[in-house]
Amino acid sequence: MAKSDDCVHILQGLLVFGNVVIGMCGIALTGECIYFVSNPHGLSPLLKAPEGNDIYAAAWIGIFVGLALFALSILGIIGVLKASRTLLLVYIVLMLITFAFEMASCITAAAHRDSLTPDFFLKQMLERYQKSEPASNSDNEVTKTWNELMLQNHCCGVQGPSDWQMYTSTFRLTHRDADYPWPRECCVLNAQGLPINLDGCKLGVPGYYNSNGCYDAISGPANTHAWGVAWFGFAILCWTFCVLLATMVYWSGIEY
Amino acid sequence: RVDYTPVLTQSPRLEGQTTASTFVLDQPRCVFEEYGTADIWLVVALEQAVSTFNNSAGPGTPNTSFQSFPDPVRAYMTLNATLANYPCPKAAGDITVLRVGSETSCIGDGTRPSCNGPLPGPGPYRVKFLALQGSEPVAETHWSDQIKLKTAQSPGSISTTGSGHSGGMIAITTILSILLAILLAGLVAMLVFWGSDLCGGSSTFSKPESVAVRRYNTHHVYDQPAARL
Repeated sequence: MAKSDDCVHILQGLLVFGNVVIGMCGIALTGECIYFVSNPHGLSPLLKAPEGNDIYAAAWIGIFVGLALFALSILGIIGVLKASRTLLLVYIVLMLITFAFEMASCITAAAHRDSLTPDFFLKQMLERYQKSEPASNSDNEVTKTWNELMLQNHCCGVQGPSDWQMYTSTFRLTHRDADYPWPRECCVLNAQGLPINLDGCKLGVPGYYNSNGCYDAISGPANTHAWGVAWFGFAILCWTFCVLLATMVYWSGIEY
Repeated sequence: RVDYTPVLTQSPRLEGQTTASTFVLDQPRCVFEEYGTADIWLVVALEQAVSTFNNSAGPGTPNTSFQSFPDPVRAYMTLNATLANYPCPKAAGDITVLRVGSETSCIGDGTRPSCNGPLPGPGPYRVKFLALQGSEPVAETHWSDQIKLKTAQSPGSISTTGSGHSGGMIAITTILSILLAILLAGLVAMLVFWGSDLCGGSSTFSKPESVAVRRYNTHHVYDQPAARL
């Protein structure tokens, strides 16, 4: 009796510990997803996929899953300490539902990250930057985001100013190639926001224009977003799996 | 004939050396030294017009006007300069270039036939410098090599599909599916065996208040038959 009591207490202790960790991870997941949804790098207009299934959907699911995990972990702790079969059964079922949602969120985030190739951004930039009759507000957002991106990171285009030469674009429709081989934001600007040497910029003289592409500046935050949601969620789910298995074993041993 | 061939600017390396409608040439420094009073013009011609170009065709006439290029005029003259514009020797550190195609204000202006307007197509073009004394050609350079401008593709040709799934995403999907399947199997096993003694039953472990519960059960077992009766 004493020995099985010890086993009981150890298992209970482990389960309580496991649930505490789940609760804390749930709060962390919620906080992290709120941070991503709040668009800290200002890149969300570029990252929104038209189909709507994107990193932001995954992040929104993550917020609610995190809160659910926290609430359920408290339920789990109470159920374990009271050794109540009903409570633990409810706990397991709800946890499985949360597990399924979080799984969907992880897979969506990882899949969407895979689609954020340089070509994706290139096509988006060529088709929507400086659209003169914007089809929707999101086109304005794309233009504003690209302008800020190029000004703050001193970069031009996705892979370089040659993007504007290799492909026709909406920008090219309204800006003549001889006057604007690439947008003015690709020029090195002075404190007033004017190019320090406009001819130098149009010629492409090193030092008067930004020669590197913006892809690195975009993909860095995009990667962090996606891996933050996907891999952290995956880690939480692995831990949750272990805790749930242990809970099932505990449940089947409770006297009824 | 002066022994000089116009070239695209190689140094410094310019991003805009050729664009869709402009190109950049080195200035002809130290080339026309003996023609201090001549006007130096740039002749831009279609490849096919090189052999038929007549040096006596005057600049600023309809035969050589930019606005009629490339049809019917096959070669036009522009970028008028004198030797004073091309001092020799070239100061070190200066970028001495001529950007052909930079003037956009006079594209349709018939009163400016020597407009340095943007080239209308990708070419190929060939250029040479021609020095005129009055209206007499006194010196010319060789024709340059072919100059081809950039042609732009449509962005529709960029394919954004088929990037494939990374190993990470496949790993996440597979592992999570397996974990979920195990958990569901466990849940099913739990519900199926509800009520049966799986792991040695009540002796494995019991509720914390087990002692108290047993006492209660004892009372209730006695009470119920009494209630029925």
